[in-house]
Amino acid sequence: MDTVFIDGLAFAAPLFIMAIGGIYSEKSGVTNLAVEGFQGFGAFIGSLVAVILMPQMGSDNQMVIVVAMLASMIGGAVYSLLHAFLCVRFRANQVISGVVVNILAAALTTFFTSVANQALTGAASNKFVLGVSDQVTVPVLSQIPVLGWFFTDMYPYEWFIAVVAIAAWYLMYKTSFGMRLRACGENPQAVDATGGDVNKTRFISVVISGALCGIGGICYAYSISANFSPSIYMGFGYLAIAAMIFGNWNIPTTAAVCLVFGLARSGGYQLCLSMGLSSNYSDLFLMLPYVLTMILLVFFSGKNHPPKAAGVPYDASDR
Amino acid sequence: MTDAEKKIGGAGWFQRLLDGRWSHIAVPVFCVLLSLLVSGVLLVVLGKDPFVGFYSFLQGSGLAPKGSYGGGSGIQSDFFTFLGYLAPMLLASLGFVVGFRAGLFNIGISGQMVASAFTATVLVGYSDLPAVLSKPLVIIIGAVVGALLGAFVGFLKYRFNVHEVVSTIMINYILNYIVGFFINMYFVNGLTRSSLPCSTDAALMIYNVQIGGISCTIPLGIFLAVALAFFLDWLFKRTVVGFELKAVGQNPKAAKYAGINVGKRLIQAMALSGALAGLAGVAYYCGYYTTIVPKTLPQMGYDCIAVALLGNGNPIGSIFASILVSVFQNGSNFMSSTLGVQKEIASLIVGIMLLFSACGGYFRFLAHRKVQRAEDSKIKAKAKAEAAAEGMTGEGEK
Repeated sequence: MDTVFIDGLAFAAPLFIMAIGGIYSEKSGVTNLAVEGFQGFGAFIGSLVAVILMPQMGSDNQMVIVVAMLASMIGGAVYSLLHAFLCVRFRANQVISGVVVNILAAALTTFFTSVANQALTGAASNKFVLGVSDQVTVPVLSQIPVLGWFFTDMYPYEWFIAVVAIAAWYLMYKTSFGMRLRACGENPQAVDATGGDVNKTRFISVVISGALCGIGGICYAYSISANFSPSIYMGFGYLAIAAMIFGNWNIPTTAAVCLVFGLARSGGYQLCLSMGLSSNYSDLFLMLPYVLTMILLVFFSGKNHPPKAAGVPYDASDR
Repeated sequence: MTDAEKKIGGAGWFQRLLDGRWSHIAVPVFCVLLSLLVSGVLLVVLGKDPFVGFYSFLQGSGLAPKGSYGGGSGIQSDFFTFLGYLAPMLLASLGFVVGFRAGLFNIGISGQMVASAFTATVLVGYSDLPAVLSKPLVIIIGAVVGALLGAFVGFLKYRFNVHEVVSTIMINYILNYIVGFFINMYFVNGLTRSSLPCSTDAALMIYNVQIGGISCTIPLGIFLAVALAFFLDWLFKRTVVGFELKAVGQNPKAAKYAGINVGKRLIQAMALSGALAGLAGVAYYCGYYTTIVPKTLPQMGYDCIAVALLGNGNPIGSIFASILVSVFQNGSNFMSSTLGVQKEIASLIVGIMLLFSACGGYFRFLAHRKVQRAEDSKIKAKAKAEAAAEGMTGEGEK
């Protein structure tokens, strides 16, 4: 049971930060299907920096991870400029733009991973080997029943994500910038009338979204896969979007949904192990989060309330 | 024409081309040229000659002669291999086009391809039916499985308001795992780790056709693909079904108001889209390859989106766009061996094309604005000149 929860949390935390990224973009009125691409590109930049730094700083140096995380935030933010330009400035169809951004991210990172590998090591490989981040157990707190799970075998990034998530929640619900951001997604004309700059706010929101998704990407690269390769595009970004939809574009609810996804995944995996089935069967259990997503989508898609103006480029002359 | 007018007209010829009646051809061509330019610059940055690079893509696709050929192969066999790759690409992009016209984004083409090809391979490809029976059966099974998957997505969209992009992607992963599981459990070739090959009778190819002294493998999918492209063009231009699909895609509310059964049309559009994707699947896995690699979704399911956008969402346009994209993807191996650039650059070039074609609407908008402004200033200048002339005569009368 402990392992189910610990693994589940390790999976849920990056998913959650990506879902927050999605919420930021959509609440400001820009449909964001590009989460997958943002996280992949962020992870690519983070891993590239890590691979360059590792020979100098030692491969088990935990500082490398910190730098890599910052780099992935910047990478995700820079890459999200593409989506922001396409949607806000070029007024492209936001769904198309999201899909384009994802496909381009996969192509770009795959190609440049091989190029960078050849330049750095001389070997043709499409992987950056990273290793797994250390896991930390807090001595006293981990002994508390139930709550202790939050302090046992934690990846440090999970705490970092918790802090960022709270900051993101505060920014969105307790500051004037956050209020303006939410207004841009509901009634951009009103924002314009009160002297706000709709396009600028949306632009900033998409870039924040990219930075948050970048964190999610590098966390997966450092935990589940222990390397950066094209397999980072496993559809976690889309899972995050699904979590955002059930969470009704609300940060605390989305956190709960992400936890359910994480538990479904790790629970299924442990179930497979405990039943003593061959590794082939693990495929069937890895499928669980996706099946769960489909079922939940069927029940919740009709009832929830997406931001009213999401998906519509702002036109000042509209009513 | 005065000097001033000439200046405005001369400055705007390019914009006029993008804005005028040829805009549906001019804009995609402009996007392609732009992306070739960017890709060329990329090759230069990597220290390669872009012209040699682009030419080697053509050589690899059997559209230009190579310096030397291995035993038993020639430009003919390369060309038919290229056609074998082109067929599923065109079918898949037609699948996307049908959904796109009805306002639906079928991102699930890769999953639909794998699932239908897997079903067809297992049901027919492993049996010993004669070619006369098995080839049509493979095609029918592929289309039916794809149609069912597509219709399911359409139903979810209509009945439960599930966004089709999210649901198709979830279904992609689910199908990927299920098919991967069954291949690994029951149909795996222990040596290559891919599925057992489907029989030569069931494969959509005619083997060992002698053309110019070289034995070629002729893919059958290409005939089906081109025929379907023209059929769809007719469907959209000349039939009630096509008209209603387009109406639903452009404005579902107006379509409903006009008495169109939106739900039925949505499900039909997705079913047709899925059926085409299923055909693409059998054309790819039973007509280009004969095996399925487990737990790998075909890149083609995403490349076809680039094709459809480049082709302006038009079935005939898709033929040209799919030739272009197939040249890059199919020729990438030969390019990689001559130039020493990783073959993944082909996907990157396609990605760049996709990026620029997504901006196509913006280019058109810019051109339109420029033309409008030029026209406005022309009218203003004319009015000013007239006013000045009137003013002079007016003063004269006073």
